Amino acid sequence: MAEIAEPQVLPGSVESVKDKTDSKIDPGYLVICWNDPVNYMEYVTHVFQRVFGWNRQKADFHMLEVHEQGKSVLARESLEKAEHYVHQLQKFSLHATLERDE
Amino acid sequence: MKLRTRQNDELIFELTERERSCLVNVLGLYPLTPPAHYQLSRNQCVPEPEEAQKLLDEAMAEQRAGHRKALDEFLNSSTRFSRAGRKVLFTLSDPEADFLLQVLNDIRVGSWISIGSPVELPPIPTPGNIRGISIMEIAGFFEGNILAALTSG
Repeated sequence: MAEIAEPQVLPGSVESVKDKTDSKIDPGYLVICWNDPVNYMEYVTHVFQRVFGWNRQKADFHMLEVHEQGKSVLARESLEKAEHYVHQLQKFSLHATLERDE
Repeated sequence: MKLRTRQNDELIFELTERERSCLVNVLGLYPLTPPAHYQLSRNQCVPEPEEAQKLLDEAMAEQRAGHRKALDEFLNSSTRFSRAGRKVLFTLSDPEADFLLQVLNDIRVGSWISIGSPVELPPIPTPGNIRGISIMEIAGFFEGNILAALTSG
């Protein structure tokens, strides 16, 4: 079976492109959901299932983490994907933000 | 409000006339959550924070306008409410239930913000917050019932 040849990379030729796109593809952004007293626990679970496609058990786990610890890291993604998830969560009125993973 | 049947991804609730009136009137308040409530990040960690925040603001504004229009169509649908003796039957599909949850939660969160985002719920009523508490609780009542119906199996 033939293997796909790996492209040769000449030193210094890719760096400029990499620099420009680094923040977009670097999976160093955390999607965090913060606790608040107004969103129902059942609703938070429902939203996690809708936005991330998680099963009930996983959605419940993160909902309880939000409830008991004040926040839960829901995903670690590139900037673009993290922004997408935060937009989706906020469209459901959840208190979600993205933060840099230091 | 009581779930009467759930079949073929369709929910049928039984409402009293008073509940129907409450639902329609509370939905008429959408949107209630102030746009400034939505912040992309707490520590401005993104490369172009103002641009990123602007994108979020635009996405939220677009959703609100779309939801407001969809809500009018939703409430004006001829099959939405029907009579069954002294009761009112309220019919919605699963996707419509999801949409309605978003709308009701916006109203609930918005009214909570309007009374100062209290940590303890429900807060002690005062002349200044009684309206906001009422709206928050009415939206929450319908939200809770729809969530229970969706998870009832």
